[in-house]
Amino acid sequence: MSLCIAGMGWVTPLGSGVNPVWRRLLQGDESAPESIEESPGHRSYSIFRVPDSALASLKPHPRLRRASAISRFATAAGLEALEDAGINLDPENAKKIALVFAVSNGGVIYTKRFYRDIVESGPQSASPLFFPETVFNAPASHLAAILGITGTTYTLVGDGAVGLLAVRMAEDLMANQELDHCLVVGAEEADWVLCDAYRKWRLLRVHPPIEPFSKTTRGTILSEGAGAIVLGREGPIRIERTHAGGYYRKRNETELVITQILSELAKNKIDIVISSANGTFIDKAESGAISAVIPRAQVYTEKPALGESVGAGGLWQIIAGAKSLIAAELPPLLHLTAEIPLHVSATRAVIPGSQRAVVISCGLNQQVAGICLAATP
Amino acid sequence: MSKSNASNGKTIRVAVVAAGVVSPLGFGLEETFVSLSVARDCVTPVTRFSVAQCRCKTAGQIPDDRLLNQERKGGRPERLHRASHMLICALREAVAQDPEFRPELAVIGTTSGGMSYGEDYYRTVRQHGNTRRTPTWIANYPAQKPAIDALEDCGISVPCQVIANACASGTNAIGHAFECVRSGRYERVLTGGYDAISELVFVGFDSLHASTPEKCRPFDRHRTGMVLGEGAGILALENLESARARGVPVLAEITGYGLSTDNFHLTQPDPSGSGPRQAMEQALKSAGLSAESVDYINAHGTATTFNDAAEGKAIAELFERVSVSSTKSMMGHSLGAAGAVEAIFCLLALQRQILPANINFRASDENVDLDIVANEPRPAHLRAVLSNSFGFGGANASIVMQKFEA
Repeated sequence: MSLCIAGMGWVTPLGSGVNPVWRRLLQGDESAPESIEESPGHRSYSIFRVPDSALASLKPHPRLRRASAISRFATAAGLEALEDAGINLDPENAKKIALVFAVSNGGVIYTKRFYRDIVESGPQSASPLFFPETVFNAPASHLAAILGITGTTYTLVGDGAVGLLAVRMAEDLMANQELDHCLVVGAEEADWVLCDAYRKWRLLRVHPPIEPFSKTTRGTILSEGAGAIVLGREGPIRIERTHAGGYYRKRNETELVITQILSELAKNKIDIVISSANGTFIDKAESGAISAVIPRAQVYTEKPALGESVGAGGLWQIIAGAKSLIAAELPPLLHLTAEIPLHVSATRAVIPGSQRAVVISCGLNQQVAGICLAATP
Repeated sequence: MSKSNASNGKTIRVAVVAAGVVSPLGFGLEETFVSLSVARDCVTPVTRFSVAQCRCKTAGQIPDDRLLNQERKGGRPERLHRASHMLICALREAVAQDPEFRPELAVIGTTSGGMSYGEDYYRTVRQHGNTRRTPTWIANYPAQKPAIDALEDCGISVPCQVIANACASGTNAIGHAFECVRSGRYERVLTGGYDAISELVFVGFDSLHASTPEKCRPFDRHRTGMVLGEGAGILALENLESARARGVPVLAEITGYGLSTDNFHLTQPDPSGSGPRQAMEQALKSAGLSAESVDYINAHGTATTFNDAAEGKAIAELFERVSVSSTKSMMGHSLGAAGAVEAIFCLLALQRQILPANINFRASDENVDLDIVANEPRPAHLRAVLSNSFGFGGANASIVMQKFEA
């Protein structure tokens, strides 16, 4: 079965729109940090937020009136991807498109607010308006309603690998020839409570930058946004191979699991690797695996520029991989501090004749997945 | 999903070769069947958190003294969330039935994973606290973690897709796993669902006035709402030819799956019942069955006014006269586990040829014309059964399970 990326949509802290964001990445731009503090006395953290301007073109819809930020990000990215694929949904072709939504932390802002009310004022003060938005599939439900999708809709939950797991699931769904397309969307919203949890998990640094592949892992910076791709039977980028993923039991097994997945994906010459290195323990594991399996490939991670958006991260990587094949170049890898045994470039790198890109996503909570993209001849 | 393997045009049949369950009705298939056969009411006062200010005070709960004292493997089970322990119990039972079952994929459903650890963490943060358990709560809070814990416990190293389609998650997981096998892309897939009760979710349904201060009476004229439950269920699905080649017993077949997305409202179904109807019609079509061939429906049947009206309407319009019960009346609504646990009830119904009861039923709803299996289980001749799960976000899913006939 041959599947292609027919369209893409991107909502990031560097703005929205695949081409504008890609241009900014090529220029070496990075997201501006915003300091957030929960209440007086609580530690402040830096996050990369999606600017209001990124959603300026999102038309009002009754479903979005009270929806959380994550639903707005997902909707904006999904609509852009469909437009990019040239798909105008009507009741007839809406039956032939599936929606797979990838998420990790979900509607954390409303979840926290709902539970805060319970803790501070008792269950009777908990708002029934917030509770439905705390459910993981709320963004997918809003997006399906806006698009008129009445058939297959799945929400997949996981760690940073969930975006690629969603693509694999979409591939399984597209085995059904009655489906013409599958819209895969990954989204996340950032909040203080997540930052605090990641810091206590020793995975977060308080201030940027994210230093990928650093000898000392100083942690990541959380961000928010969404990425979307439309999978179809035709398109400029082919999904050459997916890996259903795996999990590592302990952190010292991470490199082995990544190595196994890369070995299965790299059946042909790989020109580019889009890594999920984000300033944590996974950088060393990915570096070791890539240098062992695909030592000649040019390696890039967008996370120093865009941050770690977890549920959206895998889709962001795929978009970066697809754009790098289309444009035959990679943005500069920012904040590289160490000599590493990988082909990386701190400046914009042209990669003439590049045919294949492997995307590897290693989550912080045990899951790993990968896919191989190929330029359509 | 196409009924045929594209490579040779032959229909692939999907066997259930092992199953495991833990719920308020019991630990394991045998205890569960005993509870079903006596229509045991397993809904009790909530003990895990204060419900003093809630309308609803009861739920179906799994006792910790048994759940947390299972035989331990490895060095960290005490850190795991209750949801992990539930799924581990269910998976161990399935693995014990067929130790040679080697899945290529796990597809599991949940709604809230380790939610109560998130609650513990948040309460500590608010007090500017930090206990030695904080990292444990954070690491074990993610929704997908119990699925990975259970796989790890049983030494199963496979990719895992965790579906979170609200209350339809369990049935969606089984349905997707079924389609993965039937498409020929996988030989064996492990599937199921899990959820543990948590304060946030309990209060959430209470705030919506979806849960009841009274007994849970699905499809009753005077129904007043749902009660929550918890549990985990696991089914091992395999290409029937592969199962035959291995010589393993076939417990039942899954033959059909349908799903739909109802865009009417985030929390309420279209009153026309079009969403449930579409899912059930698709499941029947997928199974190649007529509505008359279905002998029993395990309804979603939450006992809320809106759900039971929409589901009842859809069933009544689609099926001539079929026996219907909601087993949530006995154990509450276990959310992401519900579809998996209820699929196992269907499996037991097919194997033991009984119709599970819809307890607490007093009076028929004149607007919902159904043959309810009221209060007592009934002996029956069952060949095909259908299980429904519907959830927030308009997620609707139905599966068809049939008695295995070689």
